[in-house]
Amino acid sequence: MPAAIDIDGLTVHRGGNLVLDAVSCQVAAGSVTGLLGPSGSGKSTLIRSVVGVQRITSGTVTVLGQPAGSKPLRSRVGYVTQAPSVYADLSVRENLRYFAAVVGAAAGEVDRVISAVGLTDKTGALVARLSGGQRTRVSLAAALLGTPQVLVLDEPTVGLDPVLRRDLWEMFHGLANAGTTLLVSSHVMDEADRCTALLLLREGRVLAADSPAAIRRRTGTDDLESAFLAIIDAEQVGSR
Amino acid sequence: MLASVGAEWMKLRKRPSTWVLGGVWLAMLVFFAYVLPYLTADSDTGPEAAGALASTLPAELVGNAVAGYALFGGALALILGALSAGSEYGWGTVKTALTQGPGRLNVLGGMLAALGLTLVGMVVLTFAVSAGASAIVASIESAPYDWPPVADIVTGMAGGWLVLAMFALGGVALGTATRGTSMAIGLGLVWVFVVEGLIRASASALEFLDTVQRALPGVNGGSLTAALGARTVEEGGAPGVSTLISGWQATLVVAVLAGGFALVAGWLQRARDVV
Repeated sequence: MPAAIDIDGLTVHRGGNLVLDAVSCQVAAGSVTGLLGPSGSGKSTLIRSVVGVQRITSGTVTVLGQPAGSKPLRSRVGYVTQAPSVYADLSVRENLRYFAAVVGAAAGEVDRVISAVGLTDKTGALVARLSGGQRTRVSLAAALLGTPQVLVLDEPTVGLDPVLRRDLWEMFHGLANAGTTLLVSSHVMDEADRCTALLLLREGRVLAADSPAAIRRRTGTDDLESAFLAIIDAEQVGSR
Repeated sequence: MLASVGAEWMKLRKRPSTWVLGGVWLAMLVFFAYVLPYLTADSDTGPEAAGALASTLPAELVGNAVAGYALFGGALALILGALSAGSEYGWGTVKTALTQGPGRLNVLGGMLAALGLTLVGMVVLTFAVSAGASAIVASIESAPYDWPPVADIVTGMAGGWLVLAMFALGGVALGTATRGTSMAIGLGLVWVFVVEGLIRASASALEFLDTVQRALPGVNGGSLTAALGARTVEEGGAPGVSTLISGWQATLVVAVLAGGFALVAGWLQRARDVV
């Protein structure tokens, strides 16, 4: 598959600290790629670089053949932030009407995305009165407006119950089957198996970039948490 | 750009805070500009009472409507501006809007245009409520309905809008600079109600402060409203209204300050990382 996202030698400093250290990797078009790593590994910074809101020190980030954050990408890339990014003092429908107007989506799109995230019975509810999971879904619905070709999600399942997490992952795969490329960050290793490809990030460097099966095979482990630990151990041995 | 204006306008209309601020402003207007002077006139028979009653009649419509813009109305407009810009950071929506939407300045331009439209609505409502209140007073007192010329009303509306726009843009600049609402509103209100007052109070003693005060938003807003017909503090009018600066100079300074606040907000929006 061709790469929807191509990152080459990306280095980012934030507050004087090195957060990403010459990261190079690709995200295949139409894949559900998991960006996994512990807190502080640089996942959010990498995601911010992909959506073009992060000042980078060096390297290049190309999305759908265009420099990340460039004008032609704005309607083609959806971004779901770690915390739900919606207006608490507006209803679900009002929020989505606002974002639909901002991205220039047709009015009918609002109903489509509300239905897609399963909030049809909450359209008139104030976001402030929704649960955390429901707010996340409103945020996701906003990102789905305009049918983006690349969807970048920063820890979208944090704090969600297992049923909702399962439903969201099913939705992600449904979008990927329809041709959307998804980059989903998570620090929960049991979500890794739901991805078609993985990027394992630690201390600002990519430790592995492959499918879950290939990573397990390469490390000779049964689960991805053990595989991740085996890769880290191998790295530490190699650096001594 | 039109899409951004429409989106921001819809958002401002739907927000409870917009209506709360507008409601508070109109309630203050009716109470301080009409009810209080009328009760004062009703309980006294001296020249002050006659002056208080005269101030509530239709002939004083323009002055009465714009009198509060220099301080209380300005403060509420500042809060509106700070809420518009700062809440985007508080709720994190700035990231969604700026990554998926049009350019940063386009989004900001839409917000400023929607704020401008909202302030037009506030000014029109102010004049309508003022006209209604003064008509009621005239009716009760069997006084003549001597309305000001239409040109004066239009000039008053335009000048009043400019004062409110300056304060609202100040709020937008503060909300953008502090990336939030609490600090922006706090700093803005301290400036409007404390810092400017202290500078004014000390200006007669220190020459350089007299020069400084002639560039202040509140002083120029107050001078502009005075030029439009609002009674000064010395005449028993609203706080903040003075004749320290001529009407034209005040108009120019208010416009320059408004433009400066917009430029600061635009520069911050464009230059900084989206967090």
